[in-house]
Amino acid sequence: MTETTWIIAGAWISAGLTIFLFSFLYKDNPFFKMAEHLYLGAGMGWWFQVYLYSIWKPKVFEPLLGGDFFVLIPALLGLSLVTQFIPKISWISRYGFTFMMGYGAGMEIPAKLSTDFMSQIAGTIMPFSLMASMSGFDILNALIVAAGTICVLFYFFFSVEHKGSVKKISNVGIYFLMIYFGAAFGNTVMARFSLLYGRFDDLNTSAAASNFYATQIILAAIAAYFLIHSFMGKKGQAEEAH
Amino acid sequence: MKFIKNYLPLAMVMVVGLLMLASYYIPHKHSVDYVELMNKWENIVFAFAFLLGLLSLFVSHYGKIRRRHDGWGYSIFVFVGFFIMVIPALMSGGKQMIDGQVTGLGWSFRYVYNALSATMFAVLAFYIVSTAYRSFRIKSGQALVLFIAAFILILGKVPLGQMAWESVLGWTGYGIDRVIEWIMSVPAVAGKRGIMIGIAIGAIVTALKIIFGIERQYMGKD
Repeated sequence: MTETTWIIAGAWISAGLTIFLFSFLYKDNPFFKMAEHLYLGAGMGWWFQVYLYSIWKPKVFEPLLGGDFFVLIPALLGLSLVTQFIPKISWISRYGFTFMMGYGAGMEIPAKLSTDFMSQIAGTIMPFSLMASMSGFDILNALIVAAGTICVLFYFFFSVEHKGSVKKISNVGIYFLMIYFGAAFGNTVMARFSLLYGRFDDLNTSAAASNFYATQIILAAIAAYFLIHSFMGKKGQAEEAH
Repeated sequence: MKFIKNYLPLAMVMVVGLLMLASYYIPHKHSVDYVELMNKWENIVFAFAFLLGLLSLFVSHYGKIRRRHDGWGYSIFVFVGFFIMVIPALMSGGKQMIDGQVTGLGWSFRYVYNALSATMFAVLAFYIVSTAYRSFRIKSGQALVLFIAAFILILGKVPLGQMAWESVLGWTGYGIDRVIEWIMSVPAVAGKRGIMIGIAIGAIVTALKIIFGIERQYMGKD
């Protein structure tokens, strides 16, 4: 097959899969389910080859062939996980899991302590050490950030009952949380929409004459399927009623 | 047997966890080497954990096909999708481009995996909008604040919204870009910081519970 043929085939497959997934917006259907399962398999296939060529081959097979048997330790720990499929010896998988848990827990403490705990507190306090060189607006902003952070922390502080002044402070905290959630929501919406534009752009490319109108033909075919399916369904219902 | 089944794995968590923790704070060549070695080992073990997930998926879908379970035909596409990616990868040695030419893996990635992945997330755009319609029914002051923040963020990122802002509020001298920047760097930061500090405390406590064997649900049942 020539390169052009591959590109045309790609346009048809890409347009087809895109339309199949979008068809779920109308209703659940076999085309969507097929594309959904294909995505699951393709995703696993992609990560399989990533691990194969970035971990198993260079970090396990090649060192073993080169006589470095030290990598057998993590390889055996990893392989122990697979014993989950054999109930009688599934306890062996604990070694793999405990290694991952120990590593994760040990790494998590300093990482969280420095990036999410200390640096966040530092980021809140630091501006006050530079107040002499700050404008009035910047000082106000620094105060809002500090007060807001404290109010939010009050909201998450459950060791005392939320009543009286504690309740008032935690209520202010909720407003700051709402602003953050609103901003995060707005950003997520826009990120999803930019993906949507990308898919429409791809469909537009596949709709070109050079791609033999892939988008239009697949779209018409799936619309015809829904029409026929709907017609057959109504006919079946009418027959059942009689 | 209980020693091998229970105590030894728990001891392993404690030793690995405490050594990882200590290595971070000990500025010595041995601790740096230890962290590097553990990082490498973790990569290898994690890759095998992926294999566990893959085998589990295959066993589940193979079972459906073998038993002719409802919708078993779709399960075939899981295997089709897997081989669409893996066979070209094996042929091209995991490379998407060779000498400026797109390989079979590059083709599969672009026209199959990327198309499916991007569309799957793009579909969520519609559901987010429908969720927004339900959640943005303003019933309280807090919901109003959430709505305003989200609305400004969305408005400011589309040209039409920017034009609308300019025509209505242009006289204030504050462009929507500046307002968004202020929201993101002042009140939103305060909300985010509170959450991050809370998560950090929770994560540290959980990690300590795991290291000292108080939390051991991941060990499963005897």
